[in-house]
Amino acid sequence: MKQILLITDGCSNVGASPVMAAAHALQEGITVNVAGVIDYGTIGELGSLEITEIAKAGGGVSHIVGTRQLAQTMQMMTRKTVVQTIQQAVNKELKTILGDGSLEELPPQQRSQVVQVVDELTETTPLQVALLIDASASMKPKLAAVEDAIRDLMLSLQAREGRSELAVFHFPGRNSTEDAVMDTDWIQDLGGVRNLFQRIQMKGATPTGPAILKVIDFFRYGTLDGQTWRGNDGEGEGMLGDYVV
Amino acid sequence: MTTSSRPAYPAGTVITGKWHNNRFVIRRVLGQGGNGIVYLVHKAGYRNLYALKMGYDTLDLQSEINVLTSLQSQSRHQDGLKGSFKTPFLLEVDDFTGMGKEVPFYVMRYIEGNPIHHFIRRRGEEWVGITGLRLLEKLTGLHRLGFIFGDLKPDNVMVSDYGQVELIDYGGVSKIGRSVKQFTEWYDRGYWNAGSRSSDEAYDLFAFAVLMIQLLNEEGLKAACAQLLPQTRNCSELLNLIGRSPRLKPYAPWLRKAVQGEFPGSREALAAWKQQIYAPAISGRAPGKTPRWLINTFAFSVIMLGAAVYFVFFK
Ligand SMILES: Nc1ncnc2c1ncn2[C@@H]1O[C@H](COP(=O)(O)OP(=O)(O)OP(=O)(O)O)[C@@H](O)[C@H]1O
Ligand SMILES: [Mg+2]
Repeated sequence: MKQILLITDGCSNVGASPVMAAAHALQEGITVNVAGVIDYGTIGELGSLEITEIAKAGGGVSHIVGTRQLAQTMQMMTRKTVVQTIQQAVNKELKTILGDGSLEELPPQQRSQVVQVVDELTETTPLQVALLIDASASMKPKLAAVEDAIRDLMLSLQAREGRSELAVFHFPGRNSTEDAVMDTDWIQDLGGVRNLFQRIQMKGATPTGPAILKVIDFFRYGTLDGQTWRGNDGEGEGMLGDYVV
Repeated sequence: MTTSSRPAYPAGTVITGKWHNNRFVIRRVLGQGGNGIVYLVHKAGYRNLYALKMGYDTLDLQSEINVLTSLQSQSRHQDGLKGSFKTPFLLEVDDFTGMGKEVPFYVMRYIEGNPIHHFIRRRGEEWVGITGLRLLEKLTGLHRLGFIFGDLKPDNVMVSDYGQVELIDYGGVSKIGRSVKQFTEWYDRGYWNAGSRSSDEAYDLFAFAVLMIQLLNEEGLKAACAQLLPQTRNCSELLNLIGRSPRLKPYAPWLRKAVQGEFPGSREALAAWKQQIYAPAISGRAPGKTPRWLINTFAFSVIMLGAAVYFVFFK
């Protein structure tokens, strides 16, 4: 199971629409969750609308929280999404078996069995979560909290029985052609990673949409380097060719 | 994560089960949490009181019900188990249609009493020894069935007026070896960078230790949490607190072991707790001044002894 967890504090302002990018993610079977982080003031109507819409298009959930609750929120969203994704898959199966039958309509005994299956899969399904961190200037004071929250999430994932991996990206990159930078490739333990965001240079632009598209690519091809997919897949080229600015 | 309170059904509302057709009459709200709302009810036509939990989410509630069912069926096969599952806890599972929506619910035993922190505040710290012992017994019972409680916090530990202890809210109960389903920051081993979030007996013992620290020195615990940044937070801060606080002193050796995960299992932890609270130096009470009533009792006994001796020798 694949998830993107976007952590941001405001509106995108460069490149492709992040809502459209999230729709592409969902199409690829990747759920997109969004944590909006703000400590003072509000995220603005536009910002909060965008956050909600990204999550809706990406089949996930969104929450706006302060840095204090960030770790807990990320943990909760990730878990909830795993459960939901599995529940959707199970519901689909149920429909083929029972004709119609949402969980709510099943008699107690059958419902109990179905939920047992969902719980089992929630614990054991392999899971990949790509964290995508908005590292535009306004996020700077929050990055330490973001790193702590990521470590906390890793701890929760490690406790699962199924294989669980994290990868971490931030955006924008060092120049305008770099939409996202990888901080760590798929990893099952952050113990050895001392400083997650060494390579960050704070800049003003917020190319959320292009960054999401990059991470989708990463899920597909295991690299952020556009060359690889261009060589492999014509369809991918069309998609990115159109949207990457 | 707790959601804001939702409208509750007023007293007198009759909840009719869709599958079993039993009718329950609401008396009042007992409490509300992240997963549901719990009412005090009686079965229509009867007087016995029960607690009825309506879930916000069918899947979450069913998951909780599954745990309770499995605890109940397993404890039936284990003899000599000290715990609440010999007498059934889960009594009925059903749905009803309320406000145009299907609402899942289950009915359980009504646990009278107060959360442990309220109980201790009202009745005094000398109750920590015995309530702690009974809580440990409950946890040990769960562990023997292959589960941990997980979300151990004062709100989930009810104490009756006479110090009987019961656990409520089985939403965090997790199979040993699996990830901990639900937890609360302070009591979570992971939050203190003191170990994993996998379910093992030591996870509950850690939470139990933090709970005891909270009961005896809440200010100290709050201060320790507030000061620390997540990356520097670790259990040495808890250990310092245990060493510093006079009120924790009688329990210090036990608490240290639990915080550091040094007990091989809850059975050993239970034995050690017993030994500690019944050690002659403490005998169920923190060291300090001997209480007046004890001095009086002692004085009385000395007089009695004197009288007896006098009687024997000078009659
Ligand atoms: N069996 C019971 N007897 C008496 N009171 C109960 C019982 N079960 C629950 N309560 C009361 O209802 C409150 C909420 O119940 P519970 O903790 O099960 O809900 P929850 O939604 O799972 O809460 P949380 O968000 O803490 O997980 C409890 O704090 C307690 O006060
Ligand atoms: Mg609960």
